Amino acid sequence: MTSSVPGFGRRSVLAAGAAAAALPLGAPALRAQGGPIRIGVIHPVTGALAFSGAQGRVGAEMAIADVNAAGGIKAMGGAKLEAVLGDARSTPEGGVAEVERMASGNVAAFVGGFASGICLATTQAAARYDIPYLVDVGVADNIVTRGLKNTFRFGPGFGVISRVAIENLVAMNDAAGKPARTVMIVHEDSLFGSGLAGLLNRELPGKGFEVLETIAHPTPTRDFSNVALRIRSRNPDLVIPASYYNEYVLLARTMQQQRVRPKAIFSVLGGAASNYRFVREFPDAARFIMDCNHWVDGRNPSAQALRRKVDAANQFFTYELFLNYANIMLLADALERAGSADKAKLTEALASSTFSGHFMPYGPTKFENGQNSGAVPVVTQVLDNDIKVIFPASVAEAPAVFPVPA
Amino acid sequence: MRDHLAPVLIVLALLAGVPLVVDSNVVLNFLKVALMLALAGTGWNLLGGYGGQFSFGHAVFFGTGAYAVAVLQVRFGINAWAAFGAGIVLGAVLGLAIGWLTFRAGLRGSYFALVTLAFAEVARIIASVWPLTGAGAGILIPLREGFLTLQFGSRAEGYWFVLALLGIAMLIVRAIEVRRFGAQLVAVRENEDAARALGVDVLRVKLLAIALSGGITASAGAFYAQTFLYLDAGLAYGPWISVEALLTAIVGGIGTVWGPLLGALVLQALSELGKHLGGDAPGLGLVLFGAVLILVVRFAPNGIVGLARSLRPRRLARG
Repeated sequence: MTSSVPGFGRRSVLAAGAAAAALPLGAPALRAQGGPIRIGVIHPVTGALAFSGAQGRVGAEMAIADVNAAGGIKAMGGAKLEAVLGDARSTPEGGVAEVERMASGNVAAFVGGFASGICLATTQAAARYDIPYLVDVGVADNIVTRGLKNTFRFGPGFGVISRVAIENLVAMNDAAGKPARTVMIVHEDSLFGSGLAGLLNRELPGKGFEVLETIAHPTPTRDFSNVALRIRSRNPDLVIPASYYNEYVLLARTMQQQRVRPKAIFSVLGGAASNYRFVREFPDAARFIMDCNHWVDGRNPSAQALRRKVDAANQFFTYELFLNYANIMLLADALERAGSADKAKLTEALASSTFSGHFMPYGPTKFENGQNSGAVPVVTQVLDNDIKVIFPASVAEAPAVFPVPA
Repeated sequence: MRDHLAPVLIVLALLAGVPLVVDSNVVLNFLKVALMLALAGTGWNLLGGYGGQFSFGHAVFFGTGAYAVAVLQVRFGINAWAAFGAGIVLGAVLGLAIGWLTFRAGLRGSYFALVTLAFAEVARIIASVWPLTGAGAGILIPLREGFLTLQFGSRAEGYWFVLALLGIAMLIVRAIEVRRFGAQLVAVRENEDAARALGVDVLRVKLLAIALSGGITASAGAFYAQTFLYLDAGLAYGPWISVEALLTAIVGGIGTVWGPLLGALVLQALSELGKHLGGDAPGLGLVLFGAVLILVVRFAPNGIVGLARSLRPRRLARG
C-alpha cells in the first residue's frame, strides 16, 4: 500500500537519471506493529512556520523520551511511546497528507498542527479514522466547535485568551493603584489585530481606561517612526500592540530609539514579547514588556526542570515547545487509564481526563466538547533578560514591574 | 473528431478504476492532490502552453474559485454545487476582466507575467483584510458530509469528482487543440503579428483563452476549498499555487494535453519521495526535490512528454 507512492517516485527519478538516490527508501510505516505505541507528531518543520514547528517537535520528542525513561506506559506492561514524525510543510494539505500516511501506519493518536489552518484540516482528516487528535497550539475557536469527537485542545482558544487578557490587565492596574488611565492601541490590520483592537475599544472604557487613539498598520510594515512620534505626542500611560513578530520588534525598537516610554507595554499573544529571540537580540527594547500568552506555571518544579533541560540542549524555551511537551504528558496519562492504545478507549480516556500532573497553570484537566475548560493564558514580563510569569499571583515567579521605572 | 478524444477517455477510465483496486487512502489522497494540481496546471497550460501567454499569477483564479465556493455557502447559504458552478463562472469572468485590461494594453511576455503576478498579490492583500473573506482569520466551511453539500465521506468519491473535473478540462483542451480556435491560439503564441496579419482576431482569441483558463483553474480552487474546508488569503491567493500550476505544465510538457497530468503526478511523487528520503531531517527532502527538478529541466526542457517523444525514435533505431 505505501509502496505505490514511492513507486511513482522511483520511476520518475530513474527517468531523470538520478536512480542512485532512490534506493534507501525510509518507508517508516513498515516497522513492527507489536511493542511500542506509535504517536503521530505533526508539525510544520519546513516552510514559513518552520521555527515554530521545529520547536513543537522538540517538545514532543523530549516528552516522549521522558515518558519512556520513566518506564513507559505501566498499564500496558511498560510499553514505550514511539514518535512518528511528520512535516506539515506549513500547509493544511501537507498536514492532511501526513495524517493519511500515519493513519495507515497504525498511530494511536496525533499531537501537533501548530497553525489554526493546519489544525482545522488535520483534525478533520483524523476524525474520519476516529483517531484522537491533540491540538498543540491552534487558537482559532472553531477548531473545537465543529463537533469532532476526536479533537482535544489542552491550551486556551482565542476567545478565552483575549477575555482573560483584559481581566488581568484591569486587575494588575488596580493592584498597582491604577497608574494607567490612558491607552493607545497599535494593531496590525488583519483579523487578529483588528479583532483584538475592536474588543479593547469596547471593553476598556467601561473599566476605567480611556482609549486615546487606535492606529492600524498593515503586515508587513517597515517603518514605525510616525507611529512612535504619534505615541509620544499623545503620551498614553499604556501602549497595547497587537502585531506579528517583525512589526512587534520594529515598533518596540523604534519606541526605544525615540525614547517613548509609556508606563507599560502590554500585549496579547504578542508576536515577540514572549519570545527569547527578541529578548536575546534586542534586550533593551524588550525590557519590561508584558504579554498575555501561553506560559507554564513558573513555580512548578517540573516546569523548571524542563526549562533547565531545554537550556542545556541549547534550545529556546518557547510555548510551542512546552505545550507539545504537556500534550504528550496528557496523552501518556490517558494511555495509562485506558490501558490500551485502542482508538475508542483512548478517546474516551481523554474525554474523561482529570490529568493534573502537568506544569501549565490550568488546574485539573476537564474537557468540554474537546476544549480544556481550565486552560488560561498568563501574563509574562521581560525581566533581567529573561521571561518571567508575573500574573496571576498564584503562578507568578516575580512581582510585576509596573509602572515601568522612567 | 472522436479519435482525438479516445486516448484521453481511455486514460481517464483507467484512472477512474484506481480506487477499485487500491484501497489505501494514502494513495488516493496523493492522487487527489496531484489531480487537483493537474487541473490548475491544465488551466495555466491552455493560456501559457497553447497561447504563449505566461501567467505568474494563476493563484488569482484558484483563489477566486476557492473563495467563491466558500463565501457563497457560508455567508449567503447557497447550495455547495451551485456555489461550485458560480466559482468556475467567476474565475472565467475574472479572466475576461484581467485579459481585457492587459491584452488591450498590449502587454506581452514578461510584462504580462508581472502584471498577473501583481493581480494575484492584490487579490491576496484584499482577501487578507476584507471581512467578507474572513480577513486574516480566514473562512471555514462547516463540516457536513453528504452529496448535497459536496463533501464526500470516502476518499474514492472525492477522487472521482476531481478526476471528472480534470477529465472535462482535458477534453476541452483536446477539443480546442484540433479546432480552428486551437490553431489560432498556437498562431498567436508563435508570432502574434503574423497571426494578426493573417486575419486572426488576436484580442478575441486571447480573451477566450484566458476566460477558459481562469474557469478551469478556478474549479481547482473550488475543489481545494471543498476538500480542506478552510481558506485564508495565503492558501487561496499565495504564490505557491501560481508556481505549482506552471511547474506541472512545464515539467510535464508545455502545450500538450498530457503535460499537466504527467507533471503533477511526477512532481507530487518526487515531493513525497523527497520526504521519505529526507527522513526526519527537515528540508532535506526539499533539497533533493530541487536537485531533481534542475536535472529534469536541464535534460528534458520540453518536459516529460517531450522526453518521451525524443526517446521513441531513438529506441526504434536501436532495435
